[in-house]
Amino acid sequence: MGKPTDLVQGTLDLLILKTISLEPKHGWAIAKRIQQVSRDALQIQQGSLYPALHRLEQQGWIEAEWRPTETGRMAKFYSLTRAGRRHMKQELTTWNRLSEAINLVVQEI
Amino acid sequence: MRVLKKIRLRFRSLFRRGTVESEMQAELVFHLDQQIEENLASGMPPGEAREAALRTIGTVSQFHEECRDMRRVNFIENLWQDLRFGIRLLRQSPTFTVVAVLTVALGIGANTAIFSVVYAALLRPLPYAEPDRLITLGEVRRQEDSSGQLTSASWVASYPDFRDWRQQSKAFASLAGFDPDGFTLRGAGEPESVPAVEVTPNFFHTLGVQPFLGRDFAPGEDQPSGPHVAILTYGFWKSRFGGDPHVIGRSIQLDSNSVTIAGILPPDFEFAPRGNGQIWVPLHISNGLASRRNLRWMRVIGRLAPGSTPAQAAKEMELIGSHLAAEYPQENGSLRLVIAPLRDRIVGMLQPLLLVLFGAVGFVLLIACANVANLLMARATRRRREFAVRTALGAGRRRLISQLLSESVILAACGAALGLLLARSGTVLLIAAIPEAMLNTMPFLRDAGVNPMVLAFLLCATIITAVAFGITPAFEASTRDAAGALKDEARSSAGRTSTRLRHALVITEIAFSLVLLVGAGLMVKSLTALLNRNPGFDTRRLLTFSVFLPDASYPKDPDAIRFNREFSDRVRVLPGVAGIATISIIPLTGGGNTIRFVNEGRPVPTGQESESSIRNISAGYFSLMGIPLVQGRFFNDSADAATAPQHIIVNQAWAKRYLPGEDPIGKRIRFTFSPKQTFREIVGVVGNIADAGLDSPEEPILFVPYLQGPDSFITYVVRTLGDPANSIGALRSTLRSTDPQLIMIQPTAMEQIISQSQSVFLRRYPSVLIGSFAVLALILAAVGLYGLISYSVSQHMRELGIRIALGAQPSDVIRLVLGEGARLALIGLGAGILAALGLTQLMRSLLYGVSPLDPLTFATVAGLLLLVAFVACYIPARRAIRTDPIAALRCQ
Repeated sequence: MGKPTDLVQGTLDLLILKTISLEPKHGWAIAKRIQQVSRDALQIQQGSLYPALHRLEQQGWIEAEWRPTETGRMAKFYSLTRAGRRHMKQELTTWNRLSEAINLVVQEI
Repeated sequence: MRVLKKIRLRFRSLFRRGTVESEMQAELVFHLDQQIEENLASGMPPGEAREAALRTIGTVSQFHEECRDMRRVNFIENLWQDLRFGIRLLRQSPTFTVVAVLTVALGIGANTAIFSVVYAALLRPLPYAEPDRLITLGEVRRQEDSSGQLTSASWVASYPDFRDWRQQSKAFASLAGFDPDGFTLRGAGEPESVPAVEVTPNFFHTLGVQPFLGRDFAPGEDQPSGPHVAILTYGFWKSRFGGDPHVIGRSIQLDSNSVTIAGILPPDFEFAPRGNGQIWVPLHISNGLASRRNLRWMRVIGRLAPGSTPAQAAKEMELIGSHLAAEYPQENGSLRLVIAPLRDRIVGMLQPLLLVLFGAVGFVLLIACANVANLLMARATRRRREFAVRTALGAGRRRLISQLLSESVILAACGAALGLLLARSGTVLLIAAIPEAMLNTMPFLRDAGVNPMVLAFLLCATIITAVAFGITPAFEASTRDAAGALKDEARSSAGRTSTRLRHALVITEIAFSLVLLVGAGLMVKSLTALLNRNPGFDTRRLLTFSVFLPDASYPKDPDAIRFNREFSDRVRVLPGVAGIATISIIPLTGGGNTIRFVNEGRPVPTGQESESSIRNISAGYFSLMGIPLVQGRFFNDSADAATAPQHIIVNQAWAKRYLPGEDPIGKRIRFTFSPKQTFREIVGVVGNIADAGLDSPEEPILFVPYLQGPDSFITYVVRTLGDPANSIGALRSTLRSTDPQLIMIQPTAMEQIISQSQSVFLRRYPSVLIGSFAVLALILAAVGLYGLISYSVSQHMRELGIRIALGAQPSDVIRLVLGEGARLALIGLGAGILAALGLTQLMRSLLYGVSPLDPLTFATVAGLLLLVAFVACYIPARRAIRTDPIAALRCQ
């Protein structure tokens, strides 16, 4: 595994929001999920993940709740708030526009 | 909703820190366990699995720190830490702390004291209902107000005009008149002369003031035959009647009238145009005053009608004025109406003075800030290693700045607390330094002191001060290269920017001190010029007082003349008395009393006659006062007796203006107030005097003999051999033995009149204050310069040591050190002179007999400043040459 690709600034928030948009997840599951879906291309360092989670919580996009996992241990589960869902949709639109634009340019040349 | 949630979260993070921290810990442990499990599942041995997991997590504490940062509580926790750390540090260097706190305390204290006076005078609304809608009006003769300056004499109107204004104007809800007076109060203790005011019955209603006890005046109480009633001030009621509520309805004896007390004014009532008025009575307009349109004596105030603006009122009054002028060309032809907010009339005189003082004291604070900033920067240089270590350990730039700023905040807060104490006593001193007579015209200053507004000012001043002296050193210190600082740990010399900044601060201090010194110099010079002005008469050992002869005992003119002769004869033989004379208005007390006249053989259009001051004097007046005779003769009791032909004496200014280039003796003039007046011959010309005040120009004055126009209110001037105060007792008993019912009204020495006068106050007060500020500024600037040069010397010990070792002479070293100081002092001097050239223009209205650009003052001040700067640099320079080169080389 080489050095993980640096995330485009601000996309970590979007990844987290998207990952927990289906069901609440705890931090470790979020990191794992992102890694799996991106086929190991994106590895989220714990040092970035937890500060980001705390920030998102402070901003009111996500909320946290302690509840048992499948194995019965208590973990902190994060889920989207309504404001967070709205925010995610906006961010997604922006992201799509941006990546399309970048694709257009990259393929053209 | 989101906002509420956010706030709740912040509070949770801040106040339930334990819970939040342990949750964070639990979350981390959970993560770690998951990682370990995964590692085990992939076949790692347990020990290795755990280590690998820990590696992915990184430094646990740093991770926590970042999470905390995201929760945004670090800021407050850090601040608290910074404050505690700051207090510890400041306690470790008590000298620095004491000097800095004292400097800030002086700056903030002086500013707060001046502000509390400024607030009481200029910012606080007048204690009336809707004070902004109160207006004052007056009539000025066009011939008189060539200067355009409005004085208290401008605000008068004739009663018929006042009545017409009242009937015709729509822009005013009410117009009220008042006239200062004084009574002899009898009954309940010693007879006493009490300052009083006669007012139209709607006066208090116009101001919007309700009596505290009893009732207001009723309409119609101003009729000549109206009832004699009075309203007392709260203070007078307390002092004279012990605050007895049953005093309402009781009778007191004022002069020869029995007067019923109708009401008591509220405790906070004040009326600056007659600040010491204790008894308020309705005006009883005699028929003579009611019909004489050419006698302007009544002061008028008005309240604007709802919806009308001052501009509308001015326009309407102008129209009414022009109608009246057309209708009564003889009396009103040359009158111009003046109208202004009441507030302007009350504080107009004080405003420039206070603003200049406020500006001056602001400079002191700036200098204090510069000084403390300088101290902080010198300290920051010494603490360079501390900052470097902290940076190396991971302190961010913001953290360093906030640490340094919290130290400034602590210093400023301690300074402000001490400053508040200083300000409290300072304000008391500031008010106590105002002469009683002046304070009476500014009653609102009596309760200047600490109030919520002043505290708010103090708070703002403190914050601004802390930022002002803290921000530069903080940013400067935090930008230094940490690695560099750690490497050359032996030499902790200041960076180039730092040195340049410190130089700039000292230059600023010197420049500001120069401005203050120039201001103080100009004020002192004005005061000296004013006090040295020859008012045209001898002011030494001169006592003045008045006597009022009640109509009941002295109904006719000959009665007054008889009293005057008998009393004066008895006084003349008193030991310690050199002479006595009478005058209708004491010189230097503000003028008034004018008369219109025409010169014989020079007819003028109706209403355009000349008008000049007129004084009624006894025969010996001029010789007693020491006013020289220029031409002709003085009055004497035989040639100018009551029945003799009417003669007048004029002063030189009068002769110059109304008979230019002619010999005045033998010329005749006629007073125009009545067609029955005959021509009077000028028999003498005397020297000019300053009549309205020590700073007033020498105005034309006419003099008529007392015997030909005696008055029941007689003012005496007595020349004594010793201190005038010592003769008051003898004079009082002489008065009592002449007529036991008479009392001596306001016995005052001329020198006291001068020292309490507005013209002297307006120069002495700022002289003392700006002078003190300037001295303070000079000391601060000298300390600043001294500190900088000593610091620079200690920084360059090694270099100086080498120079001395290589054979530099002491004079070379001194020249080197002094050169640095001289450069700063000269730049500061230059900048200060430029600033002073502009700023002294602002105090032009306070200056007397000196130009705002007076070269002598500028030169003296510059010389003084250079001398002080020299001393401030010479002491460290001496220390430099005493250094032992070996020790200097070794010590670093």
